[in-house]
Amino acid sequence: MNDRRSSSSDTRLRPPERFDATDEVPQHDPRPMLRFDPDTDSQPLDETLPDGVESALDRALARPRRRRWGLLVLVGGALAVGVAQSAMQLVDAWRLGEWLAGAWGALGVLGGGLLAGALGRELGKLRRLRRHSQLREALIDESPEPFALCDRLRRQMGLADDDPHWRAFTLAHQQHHSDAETRTLFAHHVLAPRDRKARGLITRMASESALMVAVSPSTLLDMGLIAWRNLYMIDRLARLYGLELGYASRLKLFRTVLANMAFAGTSEFIADAGMDMLSMNLLERLSARAAQGMGSGLLTARLGLRTIRLLRPLPFEENQAPRLADLRRELWTELKRLDRDGRATRDGDG
Amino acid sequence: MALTLPRDMGDMIERGFDRRLRLAVTGLSRAGKTAFLTSLVNQLRHAGLDARLDLMKTAREGRLLGAQRIEQSDLSIPSFPYDEAIEALSLSPPEWPRPTRGISELCLSIRYRTALPGRALIKAQRTLTLDLVDYPGEWLLDLPLLELDYPQWCERMTRLQGPARRAYAADWLSAVQKLAVDQSVDDRELAELAAGYAETLKRARAEGGFSYVQPGRFLLPGDLEGAPVLQFFPLPGITAEDRVRLSRLPAGSLYKTLERRFEHYKRHVVLPFYRDHFRRFDRQVVLVDVLSALNAGAEVFNDMRMTLGDLMKSFRFGGNGTLRRLFSPRIDRLLICATKADHVTPEQHPKLLALLEQLLDEPIKDLRYLDVPVKALSLASIRATETRTIERNGQRQPVLYGTPLDEPGDQPALIFPGEVPDRLPEEAFWHRQGFSFSAFRPLPHRDALPHIRMDAALDWLLGDKLR
Ligand SMILES: Nc1nc2c(ncn2[C@@H]2O[C@H](COP(=O)(O)OP(=O)(O)OP(=O)(O)O)[C@@H](O)[C@H]2O)c(=O)[nH]1
Ligand SMILES: [Mg+2]
Repeated sequence: MNDRRSSSSDTRLRPPERFDATDEVPQHDPRPMLRFDPDTDSQPLDETLPDGVESALDRALARPRRRRWGLLVLVGGALAVGVAQSAMQLVDAWRLGEWLAGAWGALGVLGGGLLAGALGRELGKLRRLRRHSQLREALIDESPEPFALCDRLRRQMGLADDDPHWRAFTLAHQQHHSDAETRTLFAHHVLAPRDRKARGLITRMASESALMVAVSPSTLLDMGLIAWRNLYMIDRLARLYGLELGYASRLKLFRTVLANMAFAGTSEFIADAGMDMLSMNLLERLSARAAQGMGSGLLTARLGLRTIRLLRPLPFEENQAPRLADLRRELWTELKRLDRDGRATRDGDG
Repeated sequence: MALTLPRDMGDMIERGFDRRLRLAVTGLSRAGKTAFLTSLVNQLRHAGLDARLDLMKTAREGRLLGAQRIEQSDLSIPSFPYDEAIEALSLSPPEWPRPTRGISELCLSIRYRTALPGRALIKAQRTLTLDLVDYPGEWLLDLPLLELDYPQWCERMTRLQGPARRAYAADWLSAVQKLAVDQSVDDRELAELAAGYAETLKRARAEGGFSYVQPGRFLLPGDLEGAPVLQFFPLPGITAEDRVRLSRLPAGSLYKTLERRFEHYKRHVVLPFYRDHFRRFDRQVVLVDVLSALNAGAEVFNDMRMTLGDLMKSFRFGGNGTLRRLFSPRIDRLLICATKADHVTPEQHPKLLALLEQLLDEPIKDLRYLDVPVKALSLASIRATETRTIERNGQRQPVLYGTPLDEPGDQPALIFPGEVPDRLPEEAFWHRQGFSFSAFRPLPHRDALPHIRMDAALDWLLGDKLR
């Protein structure tokens, strides 16, 4: 700190300078009218970007790369050395006619190749996850070419050019629409159907995990079950919004969702928790197991909603996001029905 | 009073259930009121069929079923000439609707499917009755008169005269300067002078493009044509300090006569408009023709700025304004539009909007402060151009394709109309360059009228009532 200050006082300060006001300040006059020969070749104003804009877009989207070079070199080097060693072993074995060692060598090469391939795919999927969130940020910020961004999003989501939802969006979109207007249309035509599906999925998974916990005999099994169901749900949700997750990216997303839940506005969390408690009071008449089921079902639901918020390329408009309260009600009816049935059979048995 | 009571009560009952909405459209002369209302009715008539209303939520969700014209609720107001307007637009070649004068009304019944879950069981289909009213923005300019007495008004009018305006008023000024305040005048002479004053206003409006013309009714007298209530004018050189001295003049003097008529105008022309019409509006659209004002140059542009500032005072009735004291209006939503956005290429629309917001900077701040929901849009009620691109010096140049109106030959042209400044241009700019946004002939249409952002306007004006 001290060093720096002394060194900066060594370099001389820039003296004040004056610029000629009329020369230096460029005049940004609006451009005047231009007239063209009516026979000039003209095209409909289309949305495809002229060259140069795309690369500017790329540049805007690109993040400063932060690679873990050490780790990459280590893993890649180990793989390469392993494969090389196996290959040499194979050559030796062939020369010496040692078939067993040869087989081991071949297996080693094969295994190394498979591992490398898997790693590559994982890395690719991680990259896609990162790209997804970057694109999302670009869409939230005012962007110069909203339609081009939507088009990228479409490709990212794996939708074909003639996907009916995408077609509906392109039909609705007009040249003069602003960013916000384009986004509204995209959300309505392309995202809303996926939101509906996602919601349905969350409801189903939540009640399933509630049921599983309610009927499972051991706590250890519960935990395993919940973890498995939740990971599976996140996977499905990601695929709905056009992301295929690998192991690493799934874990990363899971971690982000959890962190997000932990740091989500405390007020929201408290409100949620308060409502949960309230419904728990209503649950008095449910058996302890069913109550536990309700709890884990709610956890799943909350996790699902958070995941959607993270994955959806555009943030929800006000009052459009699916709410926990609705899911809770559905869950509650479901469980009550089940509990009543269960008690009835138990009473019948006894 | 006995006659108006049932009407108001019926209104109130229907409005209690939110089934009726009175939407008023205003703007200075030639701002595009008739075009706006024509397009609005046309889009709603074609809703669910071929109208492009993607920015309107109800339409996007497929819940807007259509609209039908029904008999207007206030039979004493002239009908809005919708059929005539559509007829003109359907001619070949199409023409713009004719200028209108005064207030007119049209009533629509809109059918839609509700999206509220509980109500779906009771009645899935609902109707909203929409009263549409078109009235000249100049009438709103008279609101400040209610707070002025005659000497104050004279002083103000004298202050208003810039060099360009004084040129239009030269003849009248020389005639009126021959008069003395205490002389007695005969009615015929007064009528002539008043006609001369009205003439200066009309010329300033028509030739100069000025919009601050007071009293507003002098331009569009309607059935008051020739009535003594419109036969007065400001006396140049009188200031508010002269009030006491002048009040001692005999009742037959020039000054006293003019003052009497001025007061009469306030009480019997300005007040009734606010009492009978303005008070009953639920939502208001203000149309502003920014581009034509830019065409006309600095003095006119600044004049328009002042006019709009005064005009918007009518909507600032939150605090303890004159209007609140007198009638308590109930406008709960305001839309401000820069019209004729099809005169510029689409990438200029944000700038047009920015300019509009600059122009109405002060009034919008006041409205925000008073918590009146207000939104600004750039739109074209009836789109008269197509947007295309051409290749020029290896670069793409967006252009408009349309038929300019003010040229012989009626040939379509490819035009880049120039850029719109996104802030009020400084003085020097007007001398350097200036603008020339030309008018276009409407496009031939078969289905719904082509438009820009009418759907966004509809969404803001009606969206919350069509849930
Ligand atoms: N290109 C284009 N021109 C328009 C549009 N709306 C209005 N105009 C032009 O503006 C002129 C005036 O429009 P009107 O709708 O008659 O305006 P108004 O406010 O009703 O005028 P008055 O009845 O005279 O007060 C029209 O003749 C058109 O030339 C529009 O959406 N696009
Ligand atoms: Mg009109």
